[in-house]
Amino acid sequence: MTAHGDTHEHHEPGLQHQFEDMNQQEESVSIAMWAFLAQEIMFFGGLFTAYLVFRWRFPMAFAAGSNHLDPFWGGLNTLVLIVSSLTMALTVYYAQKGNRTLQVAMIVLTMLFGSVFLGVKAIEYTDKYNHGLVPVTGWNKKVKEDTSAPHVTEQDCTQVGHGDGDDHYVNPKGEFQWKDCSLVKLAQEKNYLTADEKIGYFTNGEIDADKFRDKVRLFYFIYFVMTGLHALHMIIGLGVMLWLLWKAWIGTYGPKYYAPVEISGLYWHFVDIVWIFLFPLLYLLGRHFLH
Amino acid sequence: MQDVSAISGNSIPADEPKLNYINNGHTLKSWLLTKDHKRIALMYLLSVSAFFLMGGIYAAFIRLELLTPASDLLETATYNKVFTQHGILMVFFFLIPAIPAILGNFLLPLMIGAKDLALPRINLLSLYIYWIGGIITLWALMKGGVDTGWTFYTPYSTTFSNSYVMAVGIGVFINGFSSILTGLNFIVSIHTMRAPGMTWFRLPLFVWAHYATSLVMILGTPVVAITILLVAIERFARIGIFDPAIGGDPILFQHLFWFYSHPAVYIMILPGMGVISEVIAGFSRKRIFGYEFVAFSSIAIAVFGFLVWGHHMFVSGQSVFAGLVFSFLTMVVAVPSAIKTFNWVATMYKGSISYDTPMLYAIGFLGLFLVGGLTGLFLGSIGLTVHLTDTYFIVAHFHYVMVGGQVIAYLAGIHYWWPKMTGRMYSEFWGKVSAMLVFVGFNLTFFPQFILGYMGMPRRYASYPEELQVLNIFSTAGASVLGIGLLMPVVYLIHSLFYGKKAADNPWMHPGLEWRTSSPPPTENFKEMPVVTWEAYDFGEESGLDIEEARRREAVTV
Repeated sequence: MTAHGDTHEHHEPGLQHQFEDMNQQEESVSIAMWAFLAQEIMFFGGLFTAYLVFRWRFPMAFAAGSNHLDPFWGGLNTLVLIVSSLTMALTVYYAQKGNRTLQVAMIVLTMLFGSVFLGVKAIEYTDKYNHGLVPVTGWNKKVKEDTSAPHVTEQDCTQVGHGDGDDHYVNPKGEFQWKDCSLVKLAQEKNYLTADEKIGYFTNGEIDADKFRDKVRLFYFIYFVMTGLHALHMIIGLGVMLWLLWKAWIGTYGPKYYAPVEISGLYWHFVDIVWIFLFPLLYLLGRHFLH
Repeated sequence: MQDVSAISGNSIPADEPKLNYINNGHTLKSWLLTKDHKRIALMYLLSVSAFFLMGGIYAAFIRLELLTPASDLLETATYNKVFTQHGILMVFFFLIPAIPAILGNFLLPLMIGAKDLALPRINLLSLYIYWIGGIITLWALMKGGVDTGWTFYTPYSTTFSNSYVMAVGIGVFINGFSSILTGLNFIVSIHTMRAPGMTWFRLPLFVWAHYATSLVMILGTPVVAITILLVAIERFARIGIFDPAIGGDPILFQHLFWFYSHPAVYIMILPGMGVISEVIAGFSRKRIFGYEFVAFSSIAIAVFGFLVWGHHMFVSGQSVFAGLVFSFLTMVVAVPSAIKTFNWVATMYKGSISYDTPMLYAIGFLGLFLVGGLTGLFLGSIGLTVHLTDTYFIVAHFHYVMVGGQVIAYLAGIHYWWPKMTGRMYSEFWGKVSAMLVFVGFNLTFFPQFILGYMGMPRRYASYPEELQVLNIFSTAGASVLGIGLLMPVVYLIHSLFYGKKAADNPWMHPGLEWRTSSPPPTENFKEMPVVTWEAYDFGEESGLDIEEARRREAVTV
């Protein structure tokens, strides 16, 4: 029987007082991280449910909104994250091997890729800000009406372009902007509209641009909440990596003690996997619908 | 295994002051930065009790307002806030943390023979998160409160209510992570921290119940967290997925909310069932009848509990087919609860029952939980529920389960383990009086509400027709008896801290591991790592727990 006192005279480095040995400790932190990730899945699960429900109801609005996300940036970010998962896995590998130099190098690379991801996200968010696609009033670029510009007559929403980047872009209050209902028109002609859409986009049998805009706004709301929460997880992950970098730098981890690296890796991979689901759902699904 | 004399433990070293978890460090810092699960449990006890008191005061105002048919004591808008805040404080800040965070925290490591929970710092963090969530909520209540009902139904909560929905929502959101972390800690500890010989089927049923509770905590709570976050964002930004005016869906909120909040009602009863299993087996001095069935019924409740949320939405425009399925599953989830109840009763059969205070509470629990559970079946049958939805029948039903179940189990547990937690015995006489008062007061308060509900009195209104007054007077009178019954333990338990008889290590002569260390336990819980060689609830004579024999020995030594 082991001595059960509060003071362990000569225990292994990193062994917490409540555990008997390193095996018990490693098993505990590993189960804890898996349980935490289960919790995270449920956390994101609520959002995925909301996405599914509204995509099911308003597929045209979601396709239209999705068309305004740039798959280049999304795809680049997917690539960046997958590579960062590789470097993270290598971090664990080199920690197990006790190779401090490569361990530190891999952590730095992982952080670099993580930062690139967040940088790209910032570019995308700025783009949405500039084009009036942030669903919160006042959080878009405010553009006063230019009286000298040629007056634009009111147009049928199925005729105009996307309503962004055009010469007549006016947004004095920084509201969410969406003028293009061409997809609705197309879907109506091909009889693709869902029952919810037949009510949700129309007023007195006519396509209602404002009602359609609200549904697209719903897409962008879900887009911002999901990617925003994901980005928050990335930022927390970078904080964890910074701490790992410090610990690895002072040579904490080796073949006998690498559990913190391993469970940080689990977290990092989890955040990557969430993105693997977000990318197709938000950027790709319905991309070329009716085009 | 310790020898017999160590277990019977009726010897108290008179002179030498023992170092235990309470006197091991007296500074404020030694409490606020402690990693000791027992100290954290005591701090939870104080905080949770404070919230219970506040929630109780709101309840008093509700009952006083309902004494008369007219809305005279409170303005109707104030009344809305009072019942909302009663619900929020009681559900999120009392019922959910009560047993897991106090008794579970204190006892789980003791019961499995560990020095501490697996993640002591996370445990402390959960307490701080609880405090932060609580302070934000209290701040919101003082600024003007919230009037949406504890369910935050949309679109009222997102679009129309002018109260502090967002602040309270954030408080509840933050508080949710406290219970997630507690649940996570329990799961890990039960998996990895069991002492040698403590196999899964030697675990006390209290531990099984907490395992099931923890599953619900970590799988359910995040869903309500994200839902409340969406409500808060929606309020703030005036956009949303719950606002039907712009294509959102208020029913989606109800689905997401109840997906957590129905399992959450099992967070509010499973730990209580765990306490009752311990108390009934202990004071019947008999191994629990059908140990495996009671253990797995906890898990079954946790699993099925996730599949029945739709029975809160029978009248919300859910399809008839969905209603049928949810109604059926609701009947299914009643089965494991019934298994437990039958097994408790079977345990008492031919047991050597002693009517100590915890046992009185536990017997009260059996009766009240029976009524609470069976009326749940009324509400789960899709025909009858249309008549009963949103009436006082619902109010009575869930109070029978929440108060008659969880609160009474909580009190049973506090009394049962009080000698272990504090090292003092409380006054048995006053304990019994309070148990009786609570039982009588409770029934007097809530039984009339079944009848009121059946007669059609809707919940959440400050006024009612005059012909319903008599039953409401009964209810209010009962509430005062219940209030006195609940306040009494505060007095005599605190009194016992200073004047109570010193408790023996094993005052009840029970076999659980927690009784095989000193009272109060030392910081590291056990002087030596315990090795378990006996089955759970082993009251056999060979383990030295023959109470008659112990009494004879005690009589000889005195």
